[in-house]
Amino acid sequence: MFAKALVYFAYLLKTSVYYQQGKRFFYNLLENPQSKMKSYFDIFMICLVMLSVFFLVYSVEHKLNNAGEFFEQCVVTVFITEYLLRAWLYSDSHRIIIKEYEKAEYLNTSFKVFKTLKMVLAKKLKYMLSLFAIIDLLAILPSYRPLRILRILLIFRLFKLFRYSNSIKVFADVLSSKRFELITLAIFMGFLVFISTIAIYLFENNSSGGNVRHLYDAFYWSIVTISTVGYGDITPLTFGGRLVTVALILTGLGVLSFFTSIIVSAFNDKMYTLRENRTYAELSKLNSYIIICGFGRVGQEIARQFEKDQQAFIIIDNDENSIYLAKEKHYLCIEDDASKNAVLISAGINSGASAVLCTTGNDVSNVYITLTSRFLNPDITIIARSNRDDNVRKLYQAGANNVIQPFQIAGLLAAEYIGQPVAFEAILGILQGEKKILMETLVISAHSFLEKQQIADINFSNRKLTLVGVISANKTHQKRRNRYKVKDQHFYFNPENHFELQAEDMIVVLGRKDSIEHLQDQIEKSKLSSRKRR
Amino acid sequence: MKKIVVFGYNSLSYEAISRLDKHSHDILIIETDLALKKLAEDRGFKTAAIDFRSDSDLKSIGIGRDVEIIFCFLPEDPTNVFLTLSARAIDQQLNIIAIVGTQQSAEKLIAAGANKIIDPYQICGQKIHELIKKPDITSIIDHTVFGRDDLHIAEIIIPEGSYLENTYSSELSLSEQHNLVLIGIVDKELGDDLHFSIGEKDHKLDAGDIIVVLGPSREIKAFKQEVTNVRSN
Repeated sequence: MFAKALVYFAYLLKTSVYYQQGKRFFYNLLENPQSKMKSYFDIFMICLVMLSVFFLVYSVEHKLNNAGEFFEQCVVTVFITEYLLRAWLYSDSHRIIIKEYEKAEYLNTSFKVFKTLKMVLAKKLKYMLSLFAIIDLLAILPSYRPLRILRILLIFRLFKLFRYSNSIKVFADVLSSKRFELITLAIFMGFLVFISTIAIYLFENNSSGGNVRHLYDAFYWSIVTISTVGYGDITPLTFGGRLVTVALILTGLGVLSFFTSIIVSAFNDKMYTLRENRTYAELSKLNSYIIICGFGRVGQEIARQFEKDQQAFIIIDNDENSIYLAKEKHYLCIEDDASKNAVLISAGINSGASAVLCTTGNDVSNVYITLTSRFLNPDITIIARSNRDDNVRKLYQAGANNVIQPFQIAGLLAAEYIGQPVAFEAILGILQGEKKILMETLVISAHSFLEKQQIADINFSNRKLTLVGVISANKTHQKRRNRYKVKDQHFYFNPENHFELQAEDMIVVLGRKDSIEHLQDQIEKSKLSSRKRR
Repeated sequence: MKKIVVFGYNSLSYEAISRLDKHSHDILIIETDLALKKLAEDRGFKTAAIDFRSDSDLKSIGIGRDVEIIFCFLPEDPTNVFLTLSARAIDQQLNIIAIVGTQQSAEKLIAAGANKIIDPYQICGQKIHELIKKPDITSIIDHTVFGRDDLHIAEIIIPEGSYLENTYSSELSLSEQHNLVLIGIVDKELGDDLHFSIGEKDHKLDAGDIIVVLGPSREIKAFKQEVTNVRSN
């Protein structure tokens, strides 16, 4: 009966939307490192801990009034709630129950309630034994009146601070990466301390005329000496004792420098990953950014342009100098080989990235990166650079949407410059947006004032714009002249006066930025106002 | 017949040469690498293997005499700077076009006397940026200017006695009559700058002014003929 109720309850929790939502909310609040709420909560808790510690320090010499007591109660309530919530979040008990139940059903065995409950408890107990949970508990316990004696344990509240910042995790990570070295050192030090403790006790005990009263004194003296701190409250007087001291100081120097070097090298090793983690963390906050593979001259130019129009991007390059250059400019970058699946995935090819640019100077790498990217994400835009004519086809085959040949464009411009210098300036001007003149496309939104308008009725020259053409996939235009196929649409160059614009057509206009933006605003406004009218 | 000397044979120079009209240009390729020289010859180009560091060699191929344009397409920036300097010293009127690999070299090439510098990487970078930001425009420019389709940008100098003399740019009505779009005008009264035609100013056209149009090549040719048809009416 009890078992049935338990399983029923577990299923109820599994299907309850409110329960799931509630759990997700608290997960975001307490645990999810990506959520904004967690950072606010952390700041709040840090303030709370600081305040409560302030009251603790204050209460050493003063008597707390009622308000102080009340505050203390509130703090403890918050701590307890937090502790319980974290225990609740740590594992999904109903899942364990359901899993066990289904297993029993499948194997046709009986469902063992107590075994299952034990598993649930074991999971929760595992949480309670984790370092942070113990700290949390110790921060709460002393507030319980019968345990007032443990008041000094309130100091653990300060340790709670570590929970709300990443520094302790980083430090623990660094230490654990050098576990082997540290254990070796600890064993060596243990022996050293043991030997010196015994030795100094034998030489310097009271009956031999020394200052060391018992073994604890000897141990204390060993630690003070080996760490080269040397308070001097216990000093060796006998010849033998001094000999032990000299030996211990010398070995202590060695141990200490060994320890320092381990920590330093661990930090050095870890720094790279730490920085990379920061890059990834920053990436995960972005969306529709662009992955630039190769930070050569072309990559640099692209990055410069993107920086100008505040488009987010990340650089992947396996050349140390290029990465150094990128870091100098404070660009997000990863020093690795962009043709590896893992690198592109961690750069977010499947999450936040909207395009991949293969701009290394090596066609082989570009083909390989293109292939990898296309394999990982069939829909992403890939633009690749090709230095040789014969590789263009290969890049398209590998899945590039567009292939750019720097030398071809440059050669073409050189030829154009010889034949038609003025036209060359015009092209360059339009290409680079110099002199604030732009060629831009504007989408004719449905229900905007330009929909179903004839070209003759739109006075472009009054708007200080020149109409170059219309891009459209609309079939109604198909009998028009000057039709050029551009991908899956058509470009209608210089449309006739009675050309009627349809929704979703794009007009291509030449003009100053202001005039173009003004027309765009008008289109948007007319669309909105027509929607209101209906 | 314009005489052009191209220093360095590579994909860049090949592209530039193949875009030039063979009938109105006399092209000579300078390449010291024998394999590349052979390749150029196989493709039917005139080649020579001179030492560009020596002034007498440069003079021997006609620089300072009848060469009007040189392309400095050598792979290294310093050699291009050196070549530009030497050629400029021989001929003050020479039209020198050079490629450049880094931003610093661009300034040096200008100082050395190059008329036009082309930075392939910069252009490529800008092009990729355009492709991301304005894919539609870029593909149109690809189809027009970069000549995969019939649309071209062309410039037409108004000769003396043309029917366009003393008319106004607003009266051109190119799009109705000639199926061309007017991109811009160089009004010599206002200097050599190109004024984009965006309805800002009505330019009075005189002989020597240049109009830049976009359109199908047949229409451009017809319009060109009409404009340059002097004293026929």
